[in-house]
Amino acid sequence: MPRRKSARRQKLEQLIAYPIDWLEERSGLIGGLRYFLLRKVPGDTSWWHTLGSATLTAFIVQTVTGVVLAMYYKPDPDKAYESIRFITDDLTFGWLVRGMHRWGASVFIILMFFHMARVFLFGAYKYPRELNWIIGVLLLVLGMLEGFTGYLLPWDQTAYWATVVGINLNGTAPFLGPFLAQFLQGGAEIGNETLSRFYAMHMLLIPGGLFALIGLHLYLVIRLGVSSPPWSPEAAGEERVEAPPEGRAGLVQPGPRGGYAK
Amino acid sequence: MSRRLDERREAYQRYKRDVNERGKPFYPYAMFHDTVMSLVVVSVIAALAVIWKLTAEEEPDASGALGVLYGEEADPGTTNFIPRPDWYFYFLFYLLRIFKWPDSVILGTVGVPTIALMLLLALPFIDLRRERKLLRRPVAIVAAILTVVSMGVLTYKGATARESLGTEAVLAVPEWVEQQQLPQEAEAGARLFAESSCLNCHIYLGSGAANLGAPELTEIGASNKGVDYFRQYVANPAKFGNQRMPPFQGLGDENLRNIGIFLDASKGPK
Repeated sequence: MPRRKSARRQKLEQLIAYPIDWLEERSGLIGGLRYFLLRKVPGDTSWWHTLGSATLTAFIVQTVTGVVLAMYYKPDPDKAYESIRFITDDLTFGWLVRGMHRWGASVFIILMFFHMARVFLFGAYKYPRELNWIIGVLLLVLGMLEGFTGYLLPWDQTAYWATVVGINLNGTAPFLGPFLAQFLQGGAEIGNETLSRFYAMHMLLIPGGLFALIGLHLYLVIRLGVSSPPWSPEAAGEERVEAPPEGRAGLVQPGPRGGYAK
Repeated sequence: MSRRLDERREAYQRYKRDVNERGKPFYPYAMFHDTVMSLVVVSVIAALAVIWKLTAEEEPDASGALGVLYGEEADPGTTNFIPRPDWYFYFLFYLLRIFKWPDSVILGTVGVPTIALMLLLALPFIDLRRERKLLRRPVAIVAAILTVVSMGVLTYKGATARESLGTEAVLAVPEWVEQQQLPQEAEAGARLFAESSCLNCHIYLGSGAANLGAPELTEIGASNKGVDYFRQYVANPAKFGNQRMPPFQGLGDENLRNIGIFLDASKGPK
């Protein structure tokens, strides 16, 4: 009896393992995922370290709600305002999607600042993580540019006049300012061309940059590891007088470069 | 210098060894924290959207606890709308009040933000010490407190600032009348000129900004082209071969006439 059961189980396991092995053999993605999930982080990693993934979550909310909004929004000065009203008042759960996109933007910006403050207070921007700090600052700039370009899209009075001022502020910069203002405006007045431009930047250009930089940011986080809280008595990397306690045995040890030491 | 680098490399090797020997796997430990936090973030965003919708009525400009669902449709002809950016640009919005048009405005729009950005980018190269404990980083503490306080004050000031750039320029109107010796009938046009977006591109007696190649208008009336010429020009600059200035037909006939009278009377300070 037990032998037959184990044969059945073996078959079942093979059935499950087959597609996984197939994918692993052809891509190495399963090994990569295992490395990502089972890689060791400092033992004193805590709630402080969730601010980065919280920011990423807010960004994903912006992406998903943004795609839905793009299905109904019309980037044309004659139709934009009406399409926003339609989304807010008539579309099923349209108000929720637009509301989450609108407030998600603020949450995203706040979380970026909190995340940055955490990294600053932990001194986590120091060697070897300097490059990731710089990428983070660029992400903050791109995030605020998303805010600036997205603000015009509802095409109401606040949107329009804030953008008039915003474009003129760009115009005050030396040398490049007037060209930048002209580029943003796109035409003789803030109108059709401006709205199309802001829409394209808000939907394609800046998100493209954000996706690329977020990918790099995460790659470096995984490659370099996260810093222990500096006040932790167990902080990884600090000189200790006493001999380190014995390591925990039993778990699979991530090898260097994503491979697996058995 | 190289000793310092060696020390840092050594400390990172020690970090990697510590994590390997005494760390915990990302899954399930850290991932649990991350998942809970992500759910909190999504819930907060959804809750904000619900509060926003439920407390605002379905009419333009009817404000709820979190503001209007949408304002009135954009109207380029409006003369006195107070522009307001989203809250995270309030600090910039207020910097523009500290640095006045036209001489020092560039410090507010470009100078201060650029310096702040440069400092942020350069931070890991300025602070080269290995020390991470906050109490042993007095400069970092002071810098952090100063940054948070100044951003907080600027944001608060920007949020509570009421007057627009236009109404600030209106305060200069009596001065214009005196210096330019404007006749009484030109005053309405002068006020309108100050309130509207004219000064966003034009300079008038030291107020405003030179944008998009717009000319200074202090002595524009000296050309003696007449009220009607200016009225038509402002209404539709494209008709006069100017593709850069937007048409202001939306101001309406009476306002355009007043602007025309004002510009025609502006013949330079006596």
